[in-house]
Amino acid sequence: MFLSIFLFELKYRLKRPATWAYFGILFLFAFTVGIYGSGPASEKTFVNSPHAIATMLAIMSIFQILIASAIMGVPIYRDLEYQTKDYFFTYPIREKAYFMGRYLGSFAILFLVCTGFIFGLWVGEPLGLLTGEVEPERSGPFVLSHYLYPLLVITLPNIFFAGTIFFALVALTRKILSTYVASVLLFIGYLVAVTLSQDLDNKNLVDILDPFAFTTYQNATKYWTPYEQNNLLIPLQGNFLINRIVWIGFSLALFAFTYFRFSFKSLLEVSLGGARKTEERDEKKMRSLADLPVVQKAYSQSIFIKKLFRLAFLEFRNITKDFYFIAILLAGVLFLFLDGWFGDITFGTPSLPLTYYMLEVKDFNYIIFVFIIIIFYTGEVVHRDKAAHYSNIADALPIPNWVVYGSKFLSLALVSFVLVNLVLVCGVLNQIIKGYFNFQFSMYFTDLYLIELPEYLQLVMLAFIVHILVNNKFMGHVVSIGIWVAMFGLRNFAELDYNLFFYSYTPGYRVSDMNGFGHFLEPLTWFNVYWLSLGIIFLIIGNLFWNRGSETGFKARLKLMKQRFSGTSAVFLTFFTLLWLGSGAFIYYNVSVLNTYRTNKESIKIGVEFEKKYKKYEFLAQPKVTDLKINMDLYPEERAARAYGKFVLVNKTNHPIDSLMLEHGSDMTIEMLRIDGTDLQRVFEDKTNSIYFYLLPKTMQPGDTLLMEVQVDARYKGFPNNGLGRLMVYNGTFFDLRIFPSFGYSGDKINSDKERKKHGLPKKDYSAPPQDDPYGLSTLLFNNDADYVTFEATVSTSADQLAVAPGYLEKEWEENGRKYYHYKMNSEMDLFANFSSARYAVLRDVWKVDNNEEVNIEIFHHPTHTYNLDRFVTSVKASLDYFSKNFSPYQYTQMRILEFPRYASFAQSFPNTVPYSESFGWAADFSDPNKTDYVFYVTAHEVAHQWWGHQVTPSFTRGANQISESMAEYSALMVLDHEYGKDVMQNRLKYSLDRYLRGRSSESKFEETLLNNDSRAYVWYDKGSLVLYALQDYIGEEKLNSGFKKFIDTAAFRQNPPFATSNEWYSYIKEVTPDSLQYYLQDSFEKITLYENRVTKATYEELAKNKFKVNLTVQTKKIYYDSAGRDISEGQGKDLIEIGIFAEDGKNDKGMTQKTPLYLKKHWLTPGEHTLEFTVDQKPVKAGIDPYNKLIDRIPEDNVKVVERK
Amino acid sequence: MQLVIQNLSKTYSNGVQALKNVSLTINQGMYGLLGPNGAGKSSLMRTIATLQDADSGSITLGNLDVLRDKHEVRKILGYLPQEFGVYPKVTAETMLDHIADLKGIVDKKQRKEIVSTLLDRVNLAHVKSKNLGTFSGGMKQRFGVAQALIGNPKLIIVDEPTAGLDPAERNRFYNLLSEIGENTIVILSTHIVEDVTNLCNDMAIICLGEVIAQGNPNTLVDSMQGKIWSKSIEKSEMNVYRNSFQVISTQLKAGKTQIHVVSDVQPNESFKPVEAGLEDVYFSKISERMDVVTV
Repeated sequence: MFLSIFLFELKYRLKRPATWAYFGILFLFAFTVGIYGSGPASEKTFVNSPHAIATMLAIMSIFQILIASAIMGVPIYRDLEYQTKDYFFTYPIREKAYFMGRYLGSFAILFLVCTGFIFGLWVGEPLGLLTGEVEPERSGPFVLSHYLYPLLVITLPNIFFAGTIFFALVALTRKILSTYVASVLLFIGYLVAVTLSQDLDNKNLVDILDPFAFTTYQNATKYWTPYEQNNLLIPLQGNFLINRIVWIGFSLALFAFTYFRFSFKSLLEVSLGGARKTEERDEKKMRSLADLPVVQKAYSQSIFIKKLFRLAFLEFRNITKDFYFIAILLAGVLFLFLDGWFGDITFGTPSLPLTYYMLEVKDFNYIIFVFIIIIFYTGEVVHRDKAAHYSNIADALPIPNWVVYGSKFLSLALVSFVLVNLVLVCGVLNQIIKGYFNFQFSMYFTDLYLIELPEYLQLVMLAFIVHILVNNKFMGHVVSIGIWVAMFGLRNFAELDYNLFFYSYTPGYRVSDMNGFGHFLEPLTWFNVYWLSLGIIFLIIGNLFWNRGSETGFKARLKLMKQRFSGTSAVFLTFFTLLWLGSGAFIYYNVSVLNTYRTNKESIKIGVEFEKKYKKYEFLAQPKVTDLKINMDLYPEERAARAYGKFVLVNKTNHPIDSLMLEHGSDMTIEMLRIDGTDLQRVFEDKTNSIYFYLLPKTMQPGDTLLMEVQVDARYKGFPNNGLGRLMVYNGTFFDLRIFPSFGYSGDKINSDKERKKHGLPKKDYSAPPQDDPYGLSTLLFNNDADYVTFEATVSTSADQLAVAPGYLEKEWEENGRKYYHYKMNSEMDLFANFSSARYAVLRDVWKVDNNEEVNIEIFHHPTHTYNLDRFVTSVKASLDYFSKNFSPYQYTQMRILEFPRYASFAQSFPNTVPYSESFGWAADFSDPNKTDYVFYVTAHEVAHQWWGHQVTPSFTRGANQISESMAEYSALMVLDHEYGKDVMQNRLKYSLDRYLRGRSSESKFEETLLNNDSRAYVWYDKGSLVLYALQDYIGEEKLNSGFKKFIDTAAFRQNPPFATSNEWYSYIKEVTPDSLQYYLQDSFEKITLYENRVTKATYEELAKNKFKVNLTVQTKKIYYDSAGRDISEGQGKDLIEIGIFAEDGKNDKGMTQKTPLYLKKHWLTPGEHTLEFTVDQKPVKAGIDPYNKLIDRIPEDNVKVVERK
Repeated sequence: MQLVIQNLSKTYSNGVQALKNVSLTINQGMYGLLGPNGAGKSSLMRTIATLQDADSGSITLGNLDVLRDKHEVRKILGYLPQEFGVYPKVTAETMLDHIADLKGIVDKKQRKEIVSTLLDRVNLAHVKSKNLGTFSGGMKQRFGVAQALIGNPKLIIVDEPTAGLDPAERNRFYNLLSEIGENTIVILSTHIVEDVTNLCNDMAIICLGEVIAQGNPNTLVDSMQGKIWSKSIEKSEMNVYRNSFQVISTQLKAGKTQIHVVSDVQPNESFKPVEAGLEDVYFSKISERMDVVTV
């Protein structure tokens, strides 16, 4: 009996088109991914790597929640819905057989549907290879288990979980509604949970509680190298195993519960709403129809307008009373609130709830809910009367079309208005709760009402016309969503992004406290006029096609449309068409005439052409600048600058130079170029690549000197398709010397091996030459146009702003309503200068040195950003203290920090001047002392660059950037260590460890060592931090610093090549490292080495009062990797590794959590397992190996364990 | 005021010709439109109710061109569709008030009075604050009647109004319709002959999109008088009789089948004459076009 029910279910389901539709969607999606190789694989990972397949299956199983609810919800409900229950259950069927048959039959179908994804991959991947969309080296061998294993351990348990829930809900509640609600709740709840789990600390709990094991899988594999991603399946162990057992167990329990609770009886119960009153009537009392008063009827325009609003409000109530609307909206608001609540986190430290951030969160998750609400409820509203069959009555009422139609649109406009205001409510609520009262309502209003609301209205307008033209609710949804999916696909996969062609798209923008909405408001307004005009055209057409009456055929409605078309429609249609086309033309003029629009493909092509044409000039002999005098006139309100530069040029090469090769940015024009007073003759120009050749009046012989004068006009014209245009802005201008043309070939533009191969460029392993390369040794890393220079600049700006350039302020005056500042550098510097201008407030302080020298500290900040100024100052002072004491004296007598708008989020160290992004700590919230004071840290890093970068300027060779960045990191870490104590270091370094491990796992070429790395930020910042911090811990801070001091003594301000290399730097490190620890240097600088340390057992017994014996079992292993991330060998010798035993954590004087070591000492350990015994004098709480995570280890959490009583 | 329909034709996009050259003149009073399911009654009603257009032909109501001046027609129209829905979460009273508002009754007091009178009249006063979603089929139908009567309509179209009503409710509905003033055009479409017999003094029979008879019901019955013959037969003999006579209706009576046939003279002695009713008129007209005996 079971079998026949089971088989019937299978046969029935296999014939349902829906089954194949679900299968087809998954198949098609995987097929597309397969053909285009667009799965989650970095460049050095196979598109069909087991990691990519497992990741895709894990992601898909989350979307399969929705499919599971559709498939597993109906098998029992079917008998309720079609009322077959009334006879079906009279047949001699046993409940259990019915239950099992329906359940297993449906589950088999669900599983079959889910395999659609695998089949799609199997068909798509070979086709991708065949059509050449996927390069052969991006595809690994076909291994069946790579597909089946994740299908079994990820997909199957996940759909078992989701499917059982939905089946159980219908079986127990008899309501299909419950599965819809549950699927939405599960799906949304899951997304919330994933968002919440971003916090690193909850990792273990999240791993186990994630019913879909998505985060579990991510956490277990996040540090896999490309080699491992290509070869490994996730092992069934640890959190992943526990997770699977927990959730399969849960699903089984739920299944069993439902199985035993289920009975036909409960299914058959009739629900009798409320008891009905018996109908009573008294014929005599009945009023006659003749008693009906003769009514006054009125049909004026003003009455219709009133009705329009009345109807709109009614419709609005209809929408907002809907259970699903409330559920979706609440979920959206929850996200909105939480996204705002967790805020903008940097190094684990949140930001104050600034208004711009409260506004920005609307585009994180909330926008998805807005989309869903608008698209679905537009459908509901458009079809409501028809769906309820009320239209048969309503359509014959004496109400003009435009009233009914207009009311429907208005109701959705009202919904949109509510949706934007929720952003305001959530934002202000967050701000109030956090005690931040600078609400900036005008910023809220501008963003929400002028930018966001029009966008929502445009969504409504499009969905409106689609639903009216398609005239079927379901198909209307399909087409509406299809349009957005198509646009999204074209933009993201086909890389087309010309906003004028993508409905409702506008150029991106960013709100800043410093610059407000700045230059973004103009293009946004034009685009909104453009799209709203089109939207209104849609509305007018929709009104003409509005389906009133009983005929739904297109022909009949076309006829109606012709009847309805009136003079008024024509006038409106013409007006908005003109407005649409006019604004479109204006946008086109700005985007494509005033600016140049290029697709990504075009840009790549130009980059390729650039390299093919000009790479031959890479080592072309060009002069170097030795002295530079600049007159810089800034016009912030015009977003323009006029720059005049006087360059002294010297031929430092051994070759004669007869011409100059110049390259400059696209927004600049060279207005004048003179050598020794005579205009230069342009002999070649390539405007696409901005490359120009000028013939020198007289060949420059080696050693010759010339005076070059350049006048440049730089300005933004109109607005582009996209881009921040951040250099010259109304308030917060910041750009560097690239405003002037540069000499020679500026470097390859295409670095991706994949793109290079596709376009016939040779493979590129390095971007800097080897350490013994003569050109590299004689060129500085940051600029090949000069070695050290002398520098002077006069900068002018608008009267209300303050302008800054490197150097000391010599003179300040006002002239013609403008402000002028003359800056001069007292000593030589590398050719690296910024020009900044804004309405600044300035905080001044002084750092005094022992020998009575003083350094002026100046913080140029946005007037309201006063929250953390003391931290900047403290950090500058602490840094100057530490560096001048340990490395060398500070070369300047001032240090300035300048805030610039958050269009970029970095800080950059120019000589005695550091522009520092608005979003980088100015408004960070440091109220929790355990959060990293990254303002302090980053400032120390930038100050350190005055030594590492400006005193020792590295050569243009592989590995040399470690001298700048790794050393700045190390220096900043030491300042942090001294200010906050050892205990903050682990918290700070865990970010370096995480980024290093992630960096190498998504490497797109190969990993390089500290000595040879030329382009990987995760090596120079993060590995550099970890290695150098551990090194000073191993050999002693003073000892290591003495090596660096020696290095700086020989390398600072080196005038002549060879400039500093990583080998030179390394030689000083080797010199101060004892022989016993040379192995650590080799492992860390010359090789790629990871430790696997863990404590497996920790027990204690109390020997006497205040005497505890602790037994520890620890394992240690050291693994060497090749550059592809493949483990090649294991360390055999002894390693020095710290062992620690700790009491309960304490707090230090700053209120920070502090470890309390009872025992802490480094031990020489051979690879393998060791059992160690210690006696301590307090009750031990935790113990472990390398407890501070000083060594690089992929699972740092298992180094420490709670000590248990034996 | 007269409703004049001339040469009205309509073919749907699926090829079904719903109306073929229909011409009717309908005066004030109760007009019955009788026809089997699928005859084109509802198509005609919807066209008069401004819900769909015709391919050719015209409808005029007094001076109004119904097919063009839809808005003007709607101002004086009361329409009870054959099938209609309601918003399940709105009360009967609120909904009627809303419809009254949409029908142009701006005065709140007037609206309230009308709504309460009508609710009373259709026997829904006791459930006026209940949501429409909880109504039974009959209650919903009565609600439909009430909404059609709002606003003193001059043209009332009721499409299959008695479907789903029990006999007592149907009676009350007849009473209600009969109260409607005489200077109103009421068009009642139905496939139940009794409805027309009870209410109408003018009628048309429509079948497969064509008007096949029209006039006063009594006149139509008179024309059939003496031509209807009845006989009880075994069910198995049915085919024989169908081949030999024009059988217009069959009815089971005590295990035997009673048939009516049309014939100018007595077919043979076994047939007994019966007095013709409107039903016989209807079936005889229909049987000329389609097979009415499907047993």
